[in-house]
Amino acid sequence: MANLIPNALFRTQDNKEVRLYDDIVKDRQVMVMMMYATCETFCPLATKRMVELHHQALAQRMGKDLFMVNISLKPEEDDPAALKAYAQMHSALLPGWTFLTGNQHDVDTLRYRFFSHDHIGIDTDIDMHAGSMKIINDPAGRWFHADAFASTRTVLEHIKWSDPQKSLPERLKDNRMLQREIDRDIDVYGYRKIA
Amino acid sequence: MSELKVEGKEHGANATREAHDAQSLKVDRRTVVKGGVIAGAAAVIATKNTAAFAQESYPEDPPAPQGPVLCDPRPANSPPTTPFVDNLPIPAPANPTFLFPYPTKVANIGAGEAARDAHQAWDQFPPQVSYECGAAPSLHTFHSDLSPTYCWTFNGTYPAKTFLGYYGVPQLVRFRNNIPVDHPTAGINEITVHLHNGHTPSESDGFAGDFFGTGLWKDNHYPNVYAGVDQYGGIGDPREGMRTFWFHDHRAEFTAPNNYLGLNGMFLLYDQKDPGHEFPSPGSLQLPGYYGLTDITLQLHAILFCPTANGRTEAYNTGAIPGQVDKWIVNGKIQPKFTARRRKYRFRILNTGMVKEWNLSLIGSDGQQKPMTVIAVDANFVEQPFDVTNRNINIPVATRYDVVIDFSQFAAGTSVYLREAQAQFVGVATPDPAPGLAIGNVLMRFDVVEREVWFPVDTPPIPNHLIDMPPAIVPDDYFEWSFTFDGSPRRFRINGEVFDHNRIDHAVLKGSSEEWVIANDVIAGNWTHPVHIHFEEGRIMSRSHTVRDTSGNVVSVDNVPLLPEELGRRDVYRVPGQDRLVIRLRFRDYVGRYLIHCHNMNHEDNFMMVRWDIVETVEELVQKRREIDERRMMAGLPPQYGNGKKNGRLV
Repeated sequence: MANLIPNALFRTQDNKEVRLYDDIVKDRQVMVMMMYATCETFCPLATKRMVELHHQALAQRMGKDLFMVNISLKPEEDDPAALKAYAQMHSALLPGWTFLTGNQHDVDTLRYRFFSHDHIGIDTDIDMHAGSMKIINDPAGRWFHADAFASTRTVLEHIKWSDPQKSLPERLKDNRMLQREIDRDIDVYGYRKIA
Repeated sequence: MSELKVEGKEHGANATREAHDAQSLKVDRRTVVKGGVIAGAAAVIATKNTAAFAQESYPEDPPAPQGPVLCDPRPANSPPTTPFVDNLPIPAPANPTFLFPYPTKVANIGAGEAARDAHQAWDQFPPQVSYECGAAPSLHTFHSDLSPTYCWTFNGTYPAKTFLGYYGVPQLVRFRNNIPVDHPTAGINEITVHLHNGHTPSESDGFAGDFFGTGLWKDNHYPNVYAGVDQYGGIGDPREGMRTFWFHDHRAEFTAPNNYLGLNGMFLLYDQKDPGHEFPSPGSLQLPGYYGLTDITLQLHAILFCPTANGRTEAYNTGAIPGQVDKWIVNGKIQPKFTARRRKYRFRILNTGMVKEWNLSLIGSDGQQKPMTVIAVDANFVEQPFDVTNRNINIPVATRYDVVIDFSQFAAGTSVYLREAQAQFVGVATPDPAPGLAIGNVLMRFDVVEREVWFPVDTPPIPNHLIDMPPAIVPDDYFEWSFTFDGSPRRFRINGEVFDHNRIDHAVLKGSSEEWVIANDVIAGNWTHPVHIHFEEGRIMSRSHTVRDTSGNVVSVDNVPLLPEELGRRDVYRVPGQDRLVIRLRFRDYVGRYLIHCHNMNHEDNFMMVRWDIVETVEELVQKRREIDERRMMAGLPPQYGNGKKNGRLV
């Protein structure tokens, strides 16, 4: 991923200087969300949803092998203090969460590489990308889509899809568990309802 | 991370720990088959030794090629290639094989089969013929001027070997996943294989969320029946016959890169009408029909190549898959040539994606367009074949066109060219092959020769009437699918939502029929969506186009006359911006989870896809539709049923 993610200087909500690739993404599994502090519709909803998920299911992993990074779409407007205020407002100062602001050019580079739709009218409008999320798995060299507004099960599955791949015996075990879930659904409902 | 690397290294050395275990136990899959110790192997399954059957790679398999060193940044264009050097490769027919462990109705979890529902059609149509199809990396040379390219292929060849099936002969294909865990491409080592167009029970349909990882395998059961088994008995209604299918990976989010790497192939079904030979036989249309001889598949692909380095010419594959590709590929070769005898040939043209639409025409050596006779579109014969003489054949992703070209109209020794409207990059100065035809536009060349004595004689003229259409569908219900790009955040959406493999967006009753509207309501862009509906063929009733002024107000809604290829049954519907298609479909025989998606693979991977379910009982239908509307209302979206429109009549 090193060739896709600009290794530019960013500032965190605590006004600490970080290199985007070296300090934030390298060797990690990172959820990347685009937002800005004065965003009124999509960003707060997406942030609220991710905070909910953090408490429901992700708290165990966040800060250890899973990270959340919110990158400001309006870096010139959002100074670290503004990001901190936004994070406090949403109770999002959580372990593993970083809010970043930096240089407009670097933000746009990242935005175009990961969220571009190859359409000039859409790609130049930052509101089109507000609240969008991707999950980057740097060791695997891949990124995955995610929709913060999907059901808890689905968001967790998307995170699981982006997890480092397990060994074959572990995957066979997961496969057995899934089959058990399918069989239980068929027994209880007569069709696959949950699995 | 370290774990990943260790696994990758082990794979590179082609000796996983599991393989070692298996060898030491002397029960690896093939030794068992060779030795015929079936009873002993069954005991192995019972004693939970799964390693012998679920392996990341097999000791006897050819060693996996070294992973590619990919180029970055994106090259301006591919290396130059000389036109018309290679002959058109014709994929060999797939060979049936004996499978061990023997296929089972319920998933053989103990031996490493991916989790799935029990095969629905197993008892009625037990498989009579079985195949094994392993996805693994291999090298393929796309042109003699280029070095080999790292691809992911089924059974080691690109394009994959063609399955030749027969209606009434149920078949089973075991898809193995032996793609290495660690690889530097944009694809992912997880697959779920969809037989495009198949009247396939849901558990074998390659649902996008049902993918399985390296080392696992899955049996797809294809009953090879016509739709309408419940209604007509036997193997269904022969008027529902379909012929030209293809199979491809359908992994959610990674369909485009996995297909770009080569995970697709063709699958043909024969029956009395189209028997795969040219002798007069009862019911036969006597079309050109010898596979590989007079019945040729043309699988169209487009790639951007990196400069040749270290003995490899890799496909550009770093990070995002390129929208700009510049080499046109037919059956795995760039600008091939094909020797055509002066007689009729059938070509089954398939667009394997990812996003490029093809606009093909046939150009003679005099520079004039020559006729191609379209006999089938999307695997379905058209009622009356028609000649295309003054326009291009437009082929969106996943669409198939079966055309007959009569080479007897050309003199021996001349050449005919298949022209693509968009020029490719050639890079070798070549004079125009025909007046007004630039070399970049030439997809392939046909060299016309006299028929040799050993070559089959020409078939009779194509009948004016190929098939009778199934009876007109009287819909029980009505439903609208609106393809948009909006919402919060902006995403490709269908009916206001992005794809979620756990969420049902529409439920239909088995045995019922519905009228669906497919509307491309994207205002922002002028995207054309080739919409694919799994499981069932539909009939297009009408197409309309909405004209808007600059502020988005509707100026007029115009009825668009249907093209001759839209009069037959289709499974991919090309819907340009602001178009609305009314189609009718019938859902018979099988239940379960199916998909509708835009087959522009980049849109599909960006979740322009919905899951819809076919259900068995009215109770389940009512329950699911109620849940759908409740959930939509919670999400702030308008309900889909019982909103005063005609839809939801069954609830």
